Amino acid sequence: MTDVADIHADIDALKEFRDALTRFRYAQREVVERGDQEIEVTRASLEGKAGYWRSLLARREADFAACQQAAAAAAAAGRPADCTAEASAVREAQERLDHIRRWQQRVEEEAGAFRGTANRFRDLLDLDLPRTENHLLAIITGLEAARGLQATGS
Amino acid sequence: MPARPDEDGDHMLRVIDSIWQKTQQCWLDDMAGHFDRTHWTPLLAESRGYLRALGECLELLSNAERDTEF
Repeated sequence: MTDVADIHADIDALKEFRDALTRFRYAQREVVERGDQEIEVTRASLEGKAGYWRSLLARREADFAACQQAAAAAAAAGRPADCTAEASAVREAQERLDHIRRWQQRVEEEAGAFRGTANRFRDLLDLDLPRTENHLLAIITGLEAARGLQATGS
Repeated sequence: MPARPDEDGDHMLRVIDSIWQKTQQCWLDDMAGHFDRTHWTPLLAESRGYLRALGECLELLSNAERDTEF
């Protein structure tokens, strides 16, 4: 254990550093919150896009089914009918929905892997850093007491 | 336009690191070295690791948004 008499430090510099550590802790906590928020915003945005393309797909499938019915009736009457455009629209909606789902999957995987790192950092900010600040405070208090005694004694 | 959170975090880390460098110049005893090894270095490493991971994650999120704009 080091005696305070063996500590050679500028008390004001230590105080300034300790205050800066406290500010750093609060500011980084905000960074963590913003990071979490960004993930939630993207999740919601992808879900919104998936929802849009799901309902568009359902509508286009209904259009395609109606077209096929009309085409069957037209064929029976000997008239030509073509549902290529409707089929193509269904395919496009399905492909886009699949594409969005793949991104959703990837975002979930990445967010899951990131969560471990974020939790460790959150613990560091909430538990370790306050301990470090208290450790510095103990040094500062010890130094002030020792120097106060020295000043009284001299 | 506000900076990305990882960029803000990185800036704050540089600021606190420079304050620590200055503090070290007026803290000249064994305890300073001990503090550096047991408190400061792990804090720096953990912060850098988190900010790097956050940056990579944000990059992926941005790609996901961009690539699903039809």
